[in-house]
Amino acid sequence: MIRLRLATLALLSTMTSWAPAAAQDLGITVYSAQHAGLTQKWADAFLEDSGIPVTIRKGSDILMANQILQEGEHSPADVFLTENSPAMTMVDRAGLFAPVNPETLAAVPQEFRPASGNWTGIAARTTIFVYNTDMVGEKDLPKSMLDLAAPEWKGRWGAAPAGADFQAIVSALLQLRGSDETATWLAGLKQNAIAYRGNFEAMRGANVGEVAGSLIYNYYYFGDQAGTGESSDKLKVHYFRNGDPGAFVSISGGGVLKSSHNPEAAQAFLAFITGPEGQAILRDGKTFEYAIGSGIKPNAALPPLDTLGYPKVDPSLLNAQDVVRLMTEAGVM
Amino acid sequence: MTALSLEDISKSYGPTRAVSKINLQIAEGSRTAIVGPSGSGKTTLLRLVAGFEAPDAGKIHIDGLRIADASVGVPAHRRNVGIVMQEGALFPHLSLIDNIRFGIRKSKDSKAHALALMDLVELDRSMADRQPHQLSGGQQQRVALARALARQPRLMLLDEPFSALDAGLREQLRSATMRILAKAGVATLLVTHDQEEAISFADQLVVLRDGRLVQAGPPQELYRAPADPVTAAFLGQAIVLDAEIRGGRARCILGEVAVDGQQTSSSAAKILLRPEQLRVVPAAEGGTWRILTIEQLGPQAHVKVALENGGAETCLTFRAPNVDLPPAGSLVGLEISGRAYQFP
Amino acid sequence: MNRPLPPLPTAIALPGVKRHRRRGSSPALVAAALVVAGLALIPVGFVLWVLSQSSWETAASLVFRPRVGELVVATLLLQALAVPACIVLSLAFAWLTERTDLPLRWLWRALGVAPLAVPAFVQAYAWDGTFPLLRGLWPAVLVSVLAYFPLVYLPIVTQLRRLDPALEDVAATLGERPAQVFFTVVLPQLRLAICGGGLLIALHLLSEYGLYVLVRYDTLTVAIVNQFQAVYDGPAANLMGVVLFALTLLLLLLDKWSRGNRRYARVGAGVARPAPRFRLGRTWPFWLLVPLVTTALAVGLPLVTVVRWFWIGGSEAWHGAALTSATLQTAFYALLGAASVTLAALPIAWMSARAPGRLQSFIESIHYYTGALPGSIVALALVAITVRFALPLYQTVAAVIAAYALLFLPRAIIAIRSRLGQVPVELQQAAIALGKPPLTAAFIITLRLAAPGIAAGAALVAMGITTELTATLMLSPIGTDTLATEFWARTAEFDHVGAAPFALAMIILSVPLCVILHRQAMGVSGQ
Repeated sequence: MIRLRLATLALLSTMTSWAPAAAQDLGITVYSAQHAGLTQKWADAFLEDSGIPVTIRKGSDILMANQILQEGEHSPADVFLTENSPAMTMVDRAGLFAPVNPETLAAVPQEFRPASGNWTGIAARTTIFVYNTDMVGEKDLPKSMLDLAAPEWKGRWGAAPAGADFQAIVSALLQLRGSDETATWLAGLKQNAIAYRGNFEAMRGANVGEVAGSLIYNYYYFGDQAGTGESSDKLKVHYFRNGDPGAFVSISGGGVLKSSHNPEAAQAFLAFITGPEGQAILRDGKTFEYAIGSGIKPNAALPPLDTLGYPKVDPSLLNAQDVVRLMTEAGVM
Repeated sequence: MTALSLEDISKSYGPTRAVSKINLQIAEGSRTAIVGPSGSGKTTLLRLVAGFEAPDAGKIHIDGLRIADASVGVPAHRRNVGIVMQEGALFPHLSLIDNIRFGIRKSKDSKAHALALMDLVELDRSMADRQPHQLSGGQQQRVALARALARQPRLMLLDEPFSALDAGLREQLRSATMRILAKAGVATLLVTHDQEEAISFADQLVVLRDGRLVQAGPPQELYRAPADPVTAAFLGQAIVLDAEIRGGRARCILGEVAVDGQQTSSSAAKILLRPEQLRVVPAAEGGTWRILTIEQLGPQAHVKVALENGGAETCLTFRAPNVDLPPAGSLVGLEISGRAYQFP
Repeated sequence: MNRPLPPLPTAIALPGVKRHRRRGSSPALVAAALVVAGLALIPVGFVLWVLSQSSWETAASLVFRPRVGELVVATLLLQALAVPACIVLSLAFAWLTERTDLPLRWLWRALGVAPLAVPAFVQAYAWDGTFPLLRGLWPAVLVSVLAYFPLVYLPIVTQLRRLDPALEDVAATLGERPAQVFFTVVLPQLRLAICGGGLLIALHLLSEYGLYVLVRYDTLTVAIVNQFQAVYDGPAANLMGVVLFALTLLLLLLDKWSRGNRRYARVGAGVARPAPRFRLGRTWPFWLLVPLVTTALAVGLPLVTVVRWFWIGGSEAWHGAALTSATLQTAFYALLGAASVTLAALPIAWMSARAPGRLQSFIESIHYYTGALPGSIVALALVAITVRFALPLYQTVAAVIAAYALLFLPRAIIAIRSRLGQVPVELQQAAIALGKPPLTAAFIITLRLAAPGIAAGAALVAMGITTELTATLMLSPIGTDTLATEFWARTAEFDHVGAAPFALAMIILSVPLCVILHRQAMGVSGQ
């Protein structure tokens, strides 16, 4: 009995001794849906540079944005980093971001940040169509992403519609072409596309010939090529260009929370990752996202962004809510 | 002083009355057996005394101390009542000696005490470290008895402790238990559905039926003078006959016989005879009973007879000594010894 | 023989009286069960609250739409195929290892538990990597069966070993052939074991996510998680949660119905005489295929896949520091979580085994409803509640343990209650009569004898925690990296090679848990 009571006591004291870390120390807490390895490198370099320790909570775009919204003013997060902009827009619309320092904004070209200035782009990825050269000839490739809704593509292409990546593409379509055309295209998607868990699986689906091609983000392909290449060796990349929704460039965002306990350090971190050093880390890393800030040229393996004919979209207008509603109505989700 | 007294004890489970207004006293150092068919409330009574159930009404005293009434009670673990259950309920993870020591573990000479108890219950000390599953049924019950005796309980409760054993072992363990309890001098309450066991075990026999106490008293007295024909039959083979009572004598199909009991003159009374009171005699001439069948039981036989010129309603079946019985079909006479008992 | 007894070793204190407790469980026990149930009501309440925020039209249009219909059918179809398949495979497996002269029975017995050591999503990764074209219902059924059949194999083996062979002998003398005896005498006595294990598997399948996204089979849970990863405050996701409740209710009713009211002969505590073994004769190589193929697919394939990744990566893939830290943290959460969840499961498991009734079955069902919800709903609900009402607990060990409790209580309850039910109530009463207060008697007798079941429950919980992802990501103290979160982070960056050591560490951590389960099933430990 006594032993049991002691054990319970010990258990309780253990539990309460882990107070939330962010409130006490001088460092900052980053909620990051970005690649874990990249975020860690940024954090390590920033510590060396400024002496400010960074603790990272990993997550995925929207789930993490949901969490920040639930936390509200009590959020332990100082900085929020995502892979795509809709999650940033969610947090911004809830009024939880503090304005980004003007010097930081100045380092990022205007097209890669929202007009509000409440967050900024930190990296970019492009939409590509990878196709299995055994299954589809160059001349039969779709001219536009919208062609994939046509009957001849039934059951022949893959995507990961449940992910934030794909929803960013749909939100661009919605912004560029309006809800009617988007709904029609989604109905075609439901008819034609094979739904994968993620971009990587969609790419591999094309590589093993389950589908002829897949609509994915560029870095999955380049990442695999740089690694074993076993999931992309039969594939080629097709860029839609011409301002097509399928040439959409998605912005990875970064912002400082209004509720930050250490706003100066948080702003400094954001300035660091969009600055020359942070963008160089991005360029040299294994994630194959485009560096966009401080005039840093992207990774040499990637074709320059300005050759890709991407459509111009204000990232803050990309609306996750409407996209999910349309996708739910189409029965994709 | 009374070791246990129950006053107007009642207990219901939902709409079912398990026991109803039971009054009972058990003298110090005595043995009481409660018998009754299953569902008669005898186990409930035992659980009330042990403290596993609380009475709805009435009072329970042990050694003159009130341990339970309708609203409050001493928790079971503070009653110091020993209990031996149907299959021993030995703790399967403890050795024989640790089972016996279980209730007295904290005292420093508990081991010596436990070994002495093993002697008392006639278990060899070399078995001390055996595990329960290595023991026979009888040995398990001896351990259970020793375990219950270790705390020198004020009262011992035995819940059908012999029922899981085979016949020979059962009698052997029963007499051993009586011997051990007598040595320990503890008042005992035995619950059983076996009337023979109850009669041979107890100083006081209590008959329960449908939750009510039908009769209590010395076993021989209950056997001879039961409260009603059902009790009579429950306590042993009974020959219940219609009779006309006049002047202390009963007239029935067996002829005339002296009566005990009520002895009130009546033209429609019921009397009880026990089979050992009947004797089959060969009828040289003019026997009035004919043997219909004889069923051999070894030392005894079931004999079925009927009046030669009576109908089926004169049929009697009883156990008779298997000595010089005439063959089935013979005409015989029936002799009665002792007195018949007139039911109230 | 006539040696007098030594004097009474301890003076017995005069009794103190207490108010009677009229029937039912002790108020403290009920209170404890209610507190735990209150915690479990948080996610259910959260779902219902979100539901109440949306209008009836919105709700109806979100629930009664073709997509939800598709998902319900898909989920039910999977259950209807996978659960019986698990049962049939387990019966065959158990019969072969326990009742025949199959060679290497000890090995197959151990390997029959081993699939539990392989986390379901590692299992799915292995399949996906090896056979990338396996898609849809049948692969989903296959992988589900391979990943989860031990949950019913274990109770079947336990029960088989406790059966009295005399019953089978009797049946044989009544002219039944051995095969008939199995169906007419043995199988009915395995009914409770099959029901318990089947329910456990069904609940697992209902809340499983990682496995089905990989074989591309959309169940309700997959759709809910996708919704949650797509949008904030999605009424659609929460409404599908309500549909999940309905399916859980269906499972519970089915379980109740299949248990039936019939009583089965009490099984003895131990059988001295081993059951007769059926001679397979010259057909043994054929029968050997059952355990051989099963374990090759369920254990061999994932191991080969992980080891292959490992091999490709070489020493570079060894993130030694990260691996060590993640292993230690995972072990910490698994142990602390298993202990806490098991403790929390005890009151309701006790009521379930000892004092079943309406209140008990209501409380117990709350845990099944919550346990059927995907981790993301449970975690978000806890975020919402702790931030608003218990901020100091937010993102602490306590919060993440609470989430584990909500997710994994059902498996602990099922494992513990069945074992508790096997401890005769007389033993505890005997201890009370020998002077132990009821609570002490419960601990030193009943819980002590049910220890193997409690250990098995704790092991199942620890396995769940080892591979849990969403709640750990959202609620653990900052800086927490478990094997599952590291594995997930690396596979998300398609770094399978880098993820392999973490997968292997998860498998290795689960091995002792399998040993506990194996021992409990074989009846080695305990009594």
